[in-house]
Amino acid sequence: MGGILVWAETSKDGMRKATREAAAVGLKLAEQTGAPLAAVVCGATPEAAAGLGRLGFSKVYAAAGPAFEKYSSEAYAAAVADAGARMGADVFLMGATALGRDLSASLAARLDAALATDVTDIQWGKTPLTVIRPVYSSKLLAVTELAAERKVLSLRPNVFHAGAEREQTAQVEPLPCEAANIRAQVLRAIEDAGDALDVTEADIIVSGGRGVGGPDGFKLIADLAQTLRGAVGASRAAVDAGWIHYNHQVGQTGKAVSPVLYIACGISGAIQHFAGMGSSKFIMAVNKDKDAPIMEKADFCIVGDLFKVLPILKEELAKVVKTN
Amino acid sequence: MNIAVILRQVPDTEAVVQPDAARPGSIQEAELKFVLNPFDEYAVEEAVKITEKAGGDAVGFCIGPDRSEAAIRGALAVGLRRAVLITDAAAVEADVVTQGRILAAAIKGFAPELILCGRELIDTSDDAMAAVVAHFLDIPHVLEAVKIEVDGGKATVTREVEGADLEIEARLPVAVSCCKGLNEPRYPKILDIKRSRTKEIKRLTLAELGLESLPAKSRVVELRLPPARPKGIRVDGEPAVAAGQAAEWLSKTAKVV
Repeated sequence: MGGILVWAETSKDGMRKATREAAAVGLKLAEQTGAPLAAVVCGATPEAAAGLGRLGFSKVYAAAGPAFEKYSSEAYAAAVADAGARMGADVFLMGATALGRDLSASLAARLDAALATDVTDIQWGKTPLTVIRPVYSSKLLAVTELAAERKVLSLRPNVFHAGAEREQTAQVEPLPCEAANIRAQVLRAIEDAGDALDVTEADIIVSGGRGVGGPDGFKLIADLAQTLRGAVGASRAAVDAGWIHYNHQVGQTGKAVSPVLYIACGISGAIQHFAGMGSSKFIMAVNKDKDAPIMEKADFCIVGDLFKVLPILKEELAKVVKTN
Repeated sequence: MNIAVILRQVPDTEAVVQPDAARPGSIQEAELKFVLNPFDEYAVEEAVKITEKAGGDAVGFCIGPDRSEAAIRGALAVGLRRAVLITDAAAVEADVVTQGRILAAAIKGFAPELILCGRELIDTSDDAMAAVVAHFLDIPHVLEAVKIEVDGGKATVTREVEGADLEIEARLPVAVSCCKGLNEPRYPKILDIKRSRTKEIKRLTLAELGLESLPAKSRVVELRLPPARPKGIRVDGEPAVAAGQAAEWLSKTAKVV
């Protein structure tokens, strides 16, 4: 086996959580196979690149310059492929974030690699590298053998555990940046108002459905989410009714999430919704209808009126959060 | 403006899919209802909307078994001019990178200015197709569009990432995958459905595309059901009591507070 290269994705406040998770997977794979491990980062400061040592990397390839200030599939894929060629990488790892999914696609095509997106598990020790990924909207899991010489994996955020940080500085090798032919360029990024946490990376999601009744009901959902420092999710019914933006939709036509805790409020739990959140570690449901399908799937079910239960639950939790 | 639309027939979203014990890596198809991949509906609508305004042809390209014709007919009824279907087993069973290579070869001669597909294939959960096809045609791509504006040799596409919307300008031709929110797919009229029956679905083989040797890059060796969730705790008392029990469970069992 050749090298293992992890794409480190930066965010406003440093490295994305998904990058820390990908680093942990890279470390474990390197340990088991004896293959060399490195990271590649684009558009980061030299300090940030060297700081990747804290995630366990001793070597980091860094691409910097005007072409990397904003994400572009073409420049980023070229840089990652270049770093891969330098270290002789045959396994490429990244988080299955919005940009990670874009990059993994470009890179796999460019390298003529086996592509496994949204991986949720690895069958450690198998040759060829064998992964598990949800298919058919998470109704089934596909055990997939990656036979091609090069393999590109994107890992579903929140599934793999990030390791403890280390006292280590990485050796940084700058990548020469030729003027790439960039034909799709980000003109501008319109940041979301506030610092709303995205559902795909949240540990806790409080989600509302038809039973929430309208935009006002989502205030209750947002209040509870804030108390738990979680994100706000929604069912398709709530999004289609125009109560909340599509960004928040969880399910088959929305986002697939794997939080530690998913609280479904006023959501019946149709198969399409369950497809998006069924892999949550814990599921709590609040619903008036004791026969709603979600009540069969949840670990803790409250049969009751969410408008009465949620405010009290929020107060109870606020007490606990405070004492911690 | 000519537009290629990549189509796939998939099991209905409400379908319960089960692994087929006799064919590892495949599902039981006997009782299944199939539909056009839900995200492809946004691609078809966008293609028809643009060609209605700007002229040109919107043509469907599909890899799938014979039964895929039903989904293709639906897209033709909405307004695609014609379609191309590749049914070789080697293509149908191929991984997404190989399928992208095949579709690129099929689309090349049509030389579209825009290639559209759905954000994700809900059967294999692959969301890479637009990027892969773009690579093999040496054109740019943008994934997960919620807005597309085409004007003067370029497309301005809006996509969402965590915490922001990105506005991306791409030179034509460009491949774009389409998200919910892009448009409201229309329902075809009876007359359009009748008319679509005479539209051409051309069969193309891998041999005709000169793509006969396609080694598998990856292989699904097993499909399994996700582990069943154990039966949960149920409380249905007074809201204050239930909320208290829930708070305790969140703290002691789920350990999130």
